[in-house]
Amino acid sequence: MHSLRVMLHNELRYQLRSYRLLIVAAVFFLFGLGTPLLFNYLDVLIPAEDFVLPEFTATDVVEEYLSTVAQVGMLATILLAMGIVASERDRGTAAMTLSKPVGVGAFILAKFLALSATLAAGAIVGAAGAYLYTFVLFDDPGAGNFAAANMLAWVYLVFATSLTILFSSHFKNQLAAGGLALVILIVLALTSGLVVMREFSPGALMTEAQSLAAGAGIQNWGVVAATLTLIPLLLLAAWHVFRKKEL
Amino acid sequence: MPVILCRNLTKVFGKTPALDKLDLTVDEGTIYGFLGPNGAGKTTTLKILTGLSQPTSGQAWVDGIEVQPNSRHLQSRIGYLPEEPSFYTWMSAREYMKFVGRIFNLSPGENDRRCDQLLELVNLEEAAGRRIAGFSRGMRQRLGIAQALINRPKVLFLDEPSSALDPFGRAEILETLNRLKAEATTVFLSSHILADVERVCDIVGIIDQGRLVIEASVDELRRRFARSVFVVEFEETAPAFAPLLDALPWIERVHTEMGTEGARFSIRVKDMVTAKQELPRVVAASGFTLRRYETEMPTLEDAFLQLLGRKDSNA
Ligand SMILES: Nc1ncnc2c1ncn2[C@@H]1O[C@H](COP(=O)(O)OP(=O)(O)OP(=O)(O)O)[C@@H](O)[C@H]1O
Ligand SMILES: [Mg+2]
Repeated sequence: MHSLRVMLHNELRYQLRSYRLLIVAAVFFLFGLGTPLLFNYLDVLIPAEDFVLPEFTATDVVEEYLSTVAQVGMLATILLAMGIVASERDRGTAAMTLSKPVGVGAFILAKFLALSATLAAGAIVGAAGAYLYTFVLFDDPGAGNFAAANMLAWVYLVFATSLTILFSSHFKNQLAAGGLALVILIVLALTSGLVVMREFSPGALMTEAQSLAAGAGIQNWGVVAATLTLIPLLLLAAWHVFRKKEL
Repeated sequence: MPVILCRNLTKVFGKTPALDKLDLTVDEGTIYGFLGPNGAGKTTTLKILTGLSQPTSGQAWVDGIEVQPNSRHLQSRIGYLPEEPSFYTWMSAREYMKFVGRIFNLSPGENDRRCDQLLELVNLEEAAGRRIAGFSRGMRQRLGIAQALINRPKVLFLDEPSSALDPFGRAEILETLNRLKAEATTVFLSSHILADVERVCDIVGIIDQGRLVIEASVDELRRRFARSVFVVEFEETAPAFAPLLDALPWIERVHTEMGTEGARFSIRVKDMVTAKQELPRVVAASGFTLRRYETEMPTLEDAFLQLLGRKDSNA
């Protein structure tokens, strides 16, 4: 417990000092503000003469924001997580730390928690911007549903984090780790509409988030339950894989 | 009581054997020099003993604790300087030291004191606030030594601690090691700088291809493997000197270097006692102007080179 606290403190400081927290917050903020602004000024940006632009609603804006989070947020997550263990093993800093009384579990868990916190900060900043501008420029998207949907989007990013950390613990090459995580996340997203997958795949989590935002509630609780179960399992696998590595 | 004990320690990387049934015993309070050519298995041994790597077979104990990968029980009482110490470069030296102190659960006050003390010991107090990213190799090695000492380890593992150090740094670390020894710390160090090993180590173990070739005190090694070599230099080129020696029964081999400035003879003898008495007479009788006459100090390097059967040095 003590070493987890020390490691977490260290990882959080790293998120701050390496500007990761700032960059993530800035990216989310940009999309949070950008999406409602874009929808509002689309008619100015694309002067419509031959065709009529549809009237956008708050729901359209929120839907677009959430899918941006799913895509851009997922890419950002992979970029942030792919080297998180791999590069430490490659550079030898992991050996320095793990030759001291720090368990592999605390080492990995601290990284997971710190990155999840950074993503949470990003998600909150982005959601706040998106909510405010949608409220002002369009209509109230419904604070409760909107917050719940964003929370679910964050869970999706945390899932992506744990998956990428698993591969980062296995490969010394961070591009291999990131690449594999990306392929799996894309496959999960593409197959999220299929039978069983629709009910239990983490890839369907963003569909549930959209449904929540639209006020229809969660359709398949199995998706949420499966994701929440998979996150600790992936971390456990990462621990198991990394424990056997030569440092 | 042995503080480090290896029994049949074997490590195979794929098909490459790195350690081959290594047996090793190191007693408490010794400074043990672990030598061997490149790829002999020194780093591999250190990594196993510090819980960073798992042996393929065999067992090891450090301070009575059986070595297991990532064993916190073990790791809380050892210090380790890797071959190429690597740090979180976004930190300053002091921040890294504090981080390590917190891992070892030092109280904040104790941690501060210890960090200052150790940074001063390795002469990094002025650079302590600078980011490690800008540190030179030698500065990193100094910091690596400091961080290995923060928990006052019972056993200190150092993988080539002086390879990047300047002469001051080397002298300082040797002095530090001697002081640690006085505090009953056991030091296990690998090195290629045999002059350093000679100066501090009580016992030397030489490993080759994963096996211990010999283990002895520095003095014993010197005695056993030292070449008995005399060096004689004359002011003039002295072509007649070597034939003079060749006739004598106690001479083994003469190596001649002639220059315009004079001549240098490295003389290897079979019988040191006779040589000590006779050689000065031969020199005097030769009539050449003597510039230098000395018995070469036997070095650990001689023992190392002879034992491992590599090419002989200058004699
Ligand atoms: N991670 C690894 N993967 C494959 N082979 C390895 C690995 N680490 C070491 N080896 C091999 O094990 C053997 C021993 O290597 P080790 O690093 O222990 O040598 P060393 O005595 O420390 O050498 P040096 O004096 O060059 O530091 C070598 O043949 C090396 O190639
Ligand atoms: Mg080595």
